[in-house]
Amino acid sequence: MAKIVVIGAGFAGHTTALYLGSKIGKKHEVTVISNRDVFSYLPSWVWVGVDHMKPEKTIFKLKPVYDRKNVKFVHAAVKEIHPDAGDQYVLGNDVATGNEVRLDYDYLVVAPGPLLNFAGTPGLGPENGFTNSICSLPHAIKTRDAYLAACARMKKGEKVKIVIGTGHPGATCQGAAFEYIVNVHKDLVKQGLRDKADILWLSNEPALGDFGVNGVQIKRNGHVLRSEEFIKSVFNDHGIRYQVQSGVMKVEEGKIHWQNYEGEEGVTEFDFAMLIPQFKGQPFKYVNKDGEDITAKLNNPAGFLLVDGKYGLPYPELSQTPEAWPSKYFSPTYPNMYAAGIAFAPPGPISKPFTNKNNVAIAPAPPRTGMVSGMIGRVVASNIMDALEGRAPSHSESMTEMVAACVASMGDSLWDGSAVTIVMRPVVPDRKKYPNEFGRDLFVSHLEMGLSGAWMKFMLHHTFIWKFKAMPGWTLIPE
Amino acid sequence: MQQEFSKSEKFWMNFKLYQLWRFIVLNVKVYTVAVQSKWK
Repeated sequence: MAKIVVIGAGFAGHTTALYLGSKIGKKHEVTVISNRDVFSYLPSWVWVGVDHMKPEKTIFKLKPVYDRKNVKFVHAAVKEIHPDAGDQYVLGNDVATGNEVRLDYDYLVVAPGPLLNFAGTPGLGPENGFTNSICSLPHAIKTRDAYLAACARMKKGEKVKIVIGTGHPGATCQGAAFEYIVNVHKDLVKQGLRDKADILWLSNEPALGDFGVNGVQIKRNGHVLRSEEFIKSVFNDHGIRYQVQSGVMKVEEGKIHWQNYEGEEGVTEFDFAMLIPQFKGQPFKYVNKDGEDITAKLNNPAGFLLVDGKYGLPYPELSQTPEAWPSKYFSPTYPNMYAAGIAFAPPGPISKPFTNKNNVAIAPAPPRTGMVSGMIGRVVASNIMDALEGRAPSHSESMTEMVAACVASMGDSLWDGSAVTIVMRPVVPDRKKYPNEFGRDLFVSHLEMGLSGAWMKFMLHHTFIWKFKAMPGWTLIPE
Repeated sequence: MQQEFSKSEKFWMNFKLYQLWRFIVLNVKVYTVAVQSKWK
């Protein structure tokens, strides 16, 4: 009987655990260790942040699901990984008692989600700073409260400055911030307060609608429509001002300090701000059999695990080398250790990076959305099952092959809500397979706004909660 | 370059019957491309 340990129970870790538990959970020991005992459907936190969804609708307890699927659950925070053959184990601390927990493994899946690096930008974040975030449920609840307080001020007739976007020159997840800004707009319109708010989009993207994936391009009526034009139309239509190519350097009470591509430094005042922080890898310590700290050898400087990708290529070369992107997600040093979801180190950015004259790199990091994370989780689970049956890992899917669908909510009403539905294949352009300017399949790629998107978003919320609860037919639902 | 949505575009974005059609099309499209990943 093999022991498989999965660190983390988000989109990647939970998907891995469900596939492993369902297929081999009775023959082998599958254990999930996570510092959170609930699954969080984070795409719906944009609605929590504008008080359109109760926080409890976005989470459910993991243990009852794992009990049904032959998966053990340990509620503990991981601190160390000992990956050397012969004595491979994970060390953590039990969340309830603080006691040390040791889990031996034959296969390890590292999928703990990102570390929200608010410390990377002085003054950023809801705990030690002045801005809000929707990157965790407690943060989304705080954001909701701060937003409602801003609404109360507007109801009294005050004008309020709202800034939404990214809070670090290397931040990712612009899509979530975009969803939030248009939901705020829509909610203020419904409350009759829109004229009291000045809303600004502040982002590190090279262009509007870039989303950290070099934009989205589709073919419509014989010509190419780019997400830059599309999102510009959305913001113009909604009266949202925008400023891109800007990296937030520091936040003070009511003031955001930024630098742009030209190296200019500026200050933007705000009353309410929601800025996405930089994401880093979780600070686990990797220790070899001699007791040496080998963390830096196994991870990139941002703390993400190096896997089967080709690292170190300059951007112009990387953008022409789709095979540089990992496809099986195992560590070359320890092939029984996998990274899933945001935990794996991407070989470089998808969008064109830029360094200004002050040596500030303003470059969105590659987003690894729920769909991408789920797909990687399934690939990793399938390869572990291969290995257990004595086969070489036969499953692979790199981000240069993956399709991603993203529905960006723009108001949740099923009667007059809206959403932008984005489909792109592949997520990372592959200019060899798709020899057009964009390296994407322009037939499959899709960009559309309308009420049907709001229905899609509503449907996805319920469908995915169903899937992640492993209810009947869950495997039929794609990641 | 498109800078604002036209009146006609806005009409279709909210026309319920057309949006029902788009909902079906979008679901078929997303499911068809997403399910291909399962075979990898």
